[in-house]
Amino acid sequence: MLESDLSNIVFNKIKLQQDKNMSEDKSINNAVVLSINQRRWRKFKTLKRGYYSLIILMSLYFLSFFLPILVNNKALVVKYNNSYYFPAFRDLLDIPLIGAVGGSSFTSGETLGQIGNASECRYRELQQQFKNSNSDNFVLMPLYPYNPFEGTDVKDGEKFMPPLSSINGSSIRLLGTDNNARDVFSRMAYGFQVSISFALFVAILEYLIGVPLGAAMGYFGGKFDLTMQRFIEIWHSLPFLFLVMILVSIFDSTFFLLVAVLTLFAWLGPAAQMRAQFLREKSRDYVAAAISIGVPTWQILIKHILPNSLVPIITFFPFAVVGGISALVSLDFLGFGLPAPTPSWGQMVSVGLEHVTDGYWWLVLVPLSAMFFTLILVTFIGEGIREAFDPKVFSRLR
Amino acid sequence: MSAHEILLEVKNLKVYFPVYAGVFQRKVADVKAVDGVSFTIKRGETLGLVGESGCGKTTVGRAIINVLRHVSPDVHLDGEVNYYDETGKVTNLLHLKTKDMRSYRSKIQMIFQDPFSSLNARLSVKQIVAEPMEIHHPEMSQKEIEERVYWLLEKVGLQPAHAARFPHEFSGGQRQRVGIARALATNPDLIICDEPVSALDVSVQAQVINLMEDLRDEFKMSYLFIAHDLSVVYHISQRIAVMYLGSVAEIGSSDQVYFNATHPYSKALLSALPIPDPHRTDKKRIVLEGDIPTPLNKPTGCGFRTRCPMAKPECANEVPLLDTKADGRQVACPYVQVDVSANVA
Repeated sequence: MLESDLSNIVFNKIKLQQDKNMSEDKSINNAVVLSINQRRWRKFKTLKRGYYSLIILMSLYFLSFFLPILVNNKALVVKYNNSYYFPAFRDLLDIPLIGAVGGSSFTSGETLGQIGNASECRYRELQQQFKNSNSDNFVLMPLYPYNPFEGTDVKDGEKFMPPLSSINGSSIRLLGTDNNARDVFSRMAYGFQVSISFALFVAILEYLIGVPLGAAMGYFGGKFDLTMQRFIEIWHSLPFLFLVMILVSIFDSTFFLLVAVLTLFAWLGPAAQMRAQFLREKSRDYVAAAISIGVPTWQILIKHILPNSLVPIITFFPFAVVGGISALVSLDFLGFGLPAPTPSWGQMVSVGLEHVTDGYWWLVLVPLSAMFFTLILVTFIGEGIREAFDPKVFSRLR
Repeated sequence: MSAHEILLEVKNLKVYFPVYAGVFQRKVADVKAVDGVSFTIKRGETLGLVGESGCGKTTVGRAIINVLRHVSPDVHLDGEVNYYDETGKVTNLLHLKTKDMRSYRSKIQMIFQDPFSSLNARLSVKQIVAEPMEIHHPEMSQKEIEERVYWLLEKVGLQPAHAARFPHEFSGGQRQRVGIARALATNPDLIICDEPVSALDVSVQAQVINLMEDLRDEFKMSYLFIAHDLSVVYHISQRIAVMYLGSVAEIGSSDQVYFNATHPYSKALLSALPIPDPHRTDKKRIVLEGDIPTPLNKPTGCGFRTRCPMAKPECANEVPLLDTKADGRQVACPYVQVDVSANVA
């Protein structure tokens, strides 16, 4: 009896205290509450290196969609015999169909008064022609009037022009020309668009496949998990490069074939990550709570476990992009990449290496530095994201 | 005791987790986490379930709300978990499919031990408390749900202003209150409280226990109160069941078990209780010898015989069943004598 009395007294005493505590409780600050993702975004913004890298990369990528009206040999506006033509703008639609860059719009030279030229109009010459003829016809060229494919503007069979040079008073070649007299700056710029788009396609696709599969493996477990794991192990041991070579020699190598092949191998990473996350999270109490409430399984997966499992794969995303860019560059370098005229950094490097002893230094330097700066920007973003997701204020000693 | 008074009847519940080994991952043994547990819970009653760590208390609770299969799909479940609804209709919940189970989910809820992992960190308190209503009462409008969330938060001693916050902004006791509000949301008949206060410090424990008592009386619910702290269990329960190594050693009223335990294990467990009185030195501590056997390889017959001070050779022969004694308590030992005159009311 004594114990029970004592414990009752203690309990009652504490109950009194409890009421007091509760009134104190209620005075807790009513500051604005941020969700965990809002706090992460705030922290990411304070990490200047990653934040500015993101801004630079995003704006460059955004700009690259407008390359046909910024860097192109077709005119923005042509006024000829009182009618207007906008040939460059029609190229804008080609950008999403990579591999067909600069292809579809066609205006023959004769329609615009270039006598004897039934093929594509040469707008730079047309500009001179109109200037000399003193009529009110005019041609407005893009900022940088060379496209990555044309290689005809060569004098005396000389194909290589060094950076910042020009012929006959035409606009200068910022970064020179290559072995086919194609403009290196223009190829580099279009190559940026191709590389980033390719890497994003691969990264998003590998996530779309890997995340649901890994999640299902981790959550449902059992025989499904076991079978998939063995399959992944076998798949992992296939030699990636040989498979690409075989596929490229059977089918015509296209942008989307390469995306598909790379995705076939790249989804293994996110799948393994998600499997581990789901395996760990499903035994936590909030999942048991959701089950005991009667939440349907798909909702448990999507609403409860997924948001708690995203940290590793979000942090991994920029590095997946880095992997995609590097993979494309190496495939292009080896000659198993995008089909021939497509501007790509790997192809540029391999051309540069062929001529590295001839003194054409810009051919190697330009694509490599472009790749270097892009990769470093993406890596900085990745580092910033990783640090923003880290609950510690400083993740290393400063 | 008419059938109408019974809310839940657990009959010979067995939960075995298979153990796999070898290249082909063949089943080599079973972890007999729960091995033949039976008890009943009446309407409005709190049954305390005590026992040391690893004796299967939590597994019993999780078997009742049917969540074991989701985490370990190959668990072996046997026995009956009979739920009696208001009309007296009996349903065995143990083998119900997910879809059929859903309608009973609103009637049996659970409060978890760890208030830090039992709330989804990505959901606000409002979303957490609203979820059971969204699942079970799709007819409720957003506004009704919101109002009920605020009402529930006030009931458990939180403020409506807390609804927009996220779990990490609360202390352990406050989080446990959120967990209680979530359990209350669908007006359950039975709440399984899986060590709801053992992760909290003592003063907060008392607050939460008192709150749970008030809520039980207000909403006419039953609790299955799982804990290893006997004083807490005594404080809140009408009846207490003592578990050892996956089976029940003794069930009786709180006073019977707390002041006058008869099973040798319950006696030893209770003698280990600290007495908050330095002048009382008369109580003898029963110290058991040896360690608790692993549920992977249980002793034959009575699970407690390896450590029992009154073990006999016959104890190895057969598993002792719960036997109702003269004063109404049930004891799983044929050799204990119940002294009715010594029974403290």
